[in-house]
Amino acid sequence: MGSINAQILAIDAGGTMTDTFIINDKGEFVVGKAQSTPDDESIGLLNSARDALSYWNTTVEEAFPQLVAGVYSGTAMLNRLVSRKGRRVGLIVNKGMEDFHRMGRAIQAYLGYSYSDRLHLNTHRYDPPLVPRELTRGITERVDLFGNVVIPLYEHEVEQAVVELLDQQVEAIVISFLHSYKYPAHERKVRDMAKAIMNKRGQEVPIFASVDYYPLRKESHRTNTTIIEAYAADPSRETLLKIDKRVKERGAKFDLRVMASHGGTISYRANELARTLVSGPIGGVVGAKYLGEHLGIRNIACSDIGGTSFDMALITQGDLSINTSPDMARLVLSLPLVAMDTVGAGAGSFVRIDPNFKSITLGPDSAGYRVGVCNPAGGIETVTVSDCHVVLGLINPDNFLGGEVKLYPERAYQAVKEQIADPLGLTVEDAAYGVIDLLESQLRNYLESMILGKGYSPSQYVCFSYGGGGPLHTAGYTKGLGFEDILVPAWAAGFSAFGCGAADFEYRYDKTLDINVNAAAAEQEKTDAIGELQQAWVELMDKVADEFEKNGFPRNQVEFRFYFRMQYQGQLNDLEIESPIQALRTVEDWNVLVHTFEETYGRVYAKAARSPELGYSVTGAIVRGIVEVPKPKIPEEPLGGEQPPQDAYLGSRPVYWKGKWTTADIWEMEKLKAGNRIKGFAILESSATTFVIPPGYETRLDRHRIFHLKEPK
Amino acid sequence: MPKYDKRTIEELIDGTIDFFKLKEMLSHFKDPERFDTYLGILQERVPWEDRILLPAGLHLYIVQKESGDRIVKCDCGHEFCDYRDNWKLHALIYVRDTEEKLEELYPKLLAPDPQWQVIREYYCPSCGVQLEVENVTPWYPVIKDFEPDIDAFYEEWLGRPVPQPKVG
Repeated sequence: MGSINAQILAIDAGGTMTDTFIINDKGEFVVGKAQSTPDDESIGLLNSARDALSYWNTTVEEAFPQLVAGVYSGTAMLNRLVSRKGRRVGLIVNKGMEDFHRMGRAIQAYLGYSYSDRLHLNTHRYDPPLVPRELTRGITERVDLFGNVVIPLYEHEVEQAVVELLDQQVEAIVISFLHSYKYPAHERKVRDMAKAIMNKRGQEVPIFASVDYYPLRKESHRTNTTIIEAYAADPSRETLLKIDKRVKERGAKFDLRVMASHGGTISYRANELARTLVSGPIGGVVGAKYLGEHLGIRNIACSDIGGTSFDMALITQGDLSINTSPDMARLVLSLPLVAMDTVGAGAGSFVRIDPNFKSITLGPDSAGYRVGVCNPAGGIETVTVSDCHVVLGLINPDNFLGGEVKLYPERAYQAVKEQIADPLGLTVEDAAYGVIDLLESQLRNYLESMILGKGYSPSQYVCFSYGGGGPLHTAGYTKGLGFEDILVPAWAAGFSAFGCGAADFEYRYDKTLDINVNAAAAEQEKTDAIGELQQAWVELMDKVADEFEKNGFPRNQVEFRFYFRMQYQGQLNDLEIESPIQALRTVEDWNVLVHTFEETYGRVYAKAARSPELGYSVTGAIVRGIVEVPKPKIPEEPLGGEQPPQDAYLGSRPVYWKGKWTTADIWEMEKLKAGNRIKGFAILESSATTFVIPPGYETRLDRHRIFHLKEPK
Repeated sequence: MPKYDKRTIEELIDGTIDFFKLKEMLSHFKDPERFDTYLGILQERVPWEDRILLPAGLHLYIVQKESGDRIVKCDCGHEFCDYRDNWKLHALIYVRDTEEKLEELYPKLLAPDPQWQVIREYYCPSCGVQLEVENVTPWYPVIKDFEPDIDAFYEEWLGRPVPQPKVG
């Protein structure tokens, strides 16, 4: 293949397999797979990269020195957390509050459950706490929600607590007091005293004061997150360090970055590493944002169908929306996470008949990588959505994952007949078509309600569809919603990895504030308010700048962006808004912030709902810092004619569609040229995805190798 | 449809089943064979021959006598009464209605006030096993827990005739 200019390395280290995606300067990519090696992840990673590069007939030693960036996302930290195999952590909280961590929030008993299980109380269960009660100590102190010291810190209790925890062989200590985000002095005092005590005893374990990491409201969230930092994240630093070292030994010249929940990538040296807990689906959203920036699309509805789930996210006015108290691994957390809606419906979802109501049900569990009954090696007995695809002729059983997995249509046919068609008294084809129809209408409902629920309309958005199973259903789940345009990138299956590679090098830090300004406030009050917000920004900016300095980026190379969270006083939901002003000085600046808030509020809710008479609350300050890093190139090709080249035509195949067998044209996706137009009924096949153009529809491939799907009027 | 082996159902009955296995069972549709497997295990475990029609609580069963009578019976063999009658009124009853008796169970000040609430415990007169515990106000009647419609259950839910007593 001559000169392959490998550019970006994206790593997805799962529990069993490590996937690597390597993207070249033309936007082409190869995927490598290898067994994960949890003891030294770098071994599995290098094997996987070797596998990927073999498709380009090149080697790690040859390709790595050309790479300009590498992004890691992995499940090692999540596994450590879920299997409760982290460090032995001691916890110091307010005296009298020693049980709040193990009691947890009630929602933690059913997080991650399907809707029916959430309603079904006897499925609820509290996981064992990260820190058991025996390793928790209380120290007397109390700060109220305004930040007033109600009970001073009883310093004489600190030594005993710390010594006892050390005697119990803790490997880290977390300190979390109520309302410490309003008054950090007590936590810091305990932290410093603990350090002195450890010094005196000649013992040293890392110590984490919640306020040094997450100065945020909600003690369950803040405490969980700080504990994760000590319990699972800090131990992962070593793993990442080793990977970075091994990759550099092979000639790589970049600093390894890690995908983080806020949609940027951070260094493994980052202070707050817990946010790298997330992996997978946010990559696609970040990729959609990057692609949107390139194409000048400001509003994007992202949709991703994989084997197990359907993930949706909105990009509005070019910005991802962020959820500031998300949950991961069944814990409520104070991390900024790219807001996504996920439902358990994917290509591998199981299909069953409800024995009581004789209706078809989908999921919520799925066969995942085992595909379905049509794949005997998977050992699956229950029909999956993929089996229905095979019955209908929508996927090519001999070209699934580029022919890597051979599917047996007769097995799928038999299983659909026995489990679905016969009990319902339908033909096998009608039963399979019914399943697909049900799936698509469910996904359509989810997508529509997500957009409407946030106060927008699909007609304001361009829908991006990707993931291995996305393009198969794009036409079905967007039907009639009226999106401005529907885009399917030709590299849909690798889009998440592409997104990881496209993520900014970005830190984001948050801080809770409580600044209330009445509608009729005097000038002084407004001046005080901007003073406090400005001070928080400066504090967070320093934190962000410190992080970049660890990777050798001086402050003047960092692009800072300043955000605030504001709400009408007494309302429950705040909005995160980018400030048009970088440094606040005058009362006029306050008025600008208020004006920006009012505009956003009017857009998200309704103009008529604006309530300036209530006054305003600033509930948080956020600073994001970004430095330029190399990103994957978006493919660019000269436009050709509308007529697709003959060698892209693979023939035709009967496909069951709306009650009858119809002939569909089959095209090879990779061989189509920019500018080509294809009318339905057609199926575009590539090794990892299948794109269906139903009768009446039409698709056009643009200069960037992105398909545009046009719905018939 | 899910299908479980006998061992899994035994673990379910004994409460020794792993939570994650249990959760999976709860989240799925019920296996069609469950009732028969479950009843089969119960029947195997009791030392007597009368056919169990339905379980009636911990240690209790509604059984079919040769005469055709349907009787509530303890697993020790003690026979309480006709299934339409209230078996509790045929059991030994221990009422914890003083602070002293309640504090055998609860730390001081954590027990209910016996003027407002008492604990009634029901025991089998033959083997002494505890069959039921109720927290009730002192005047509360001894309520019959439930009276199943056995014929309708077999015929309309399971879709088969109710078992008949062996003739001869």
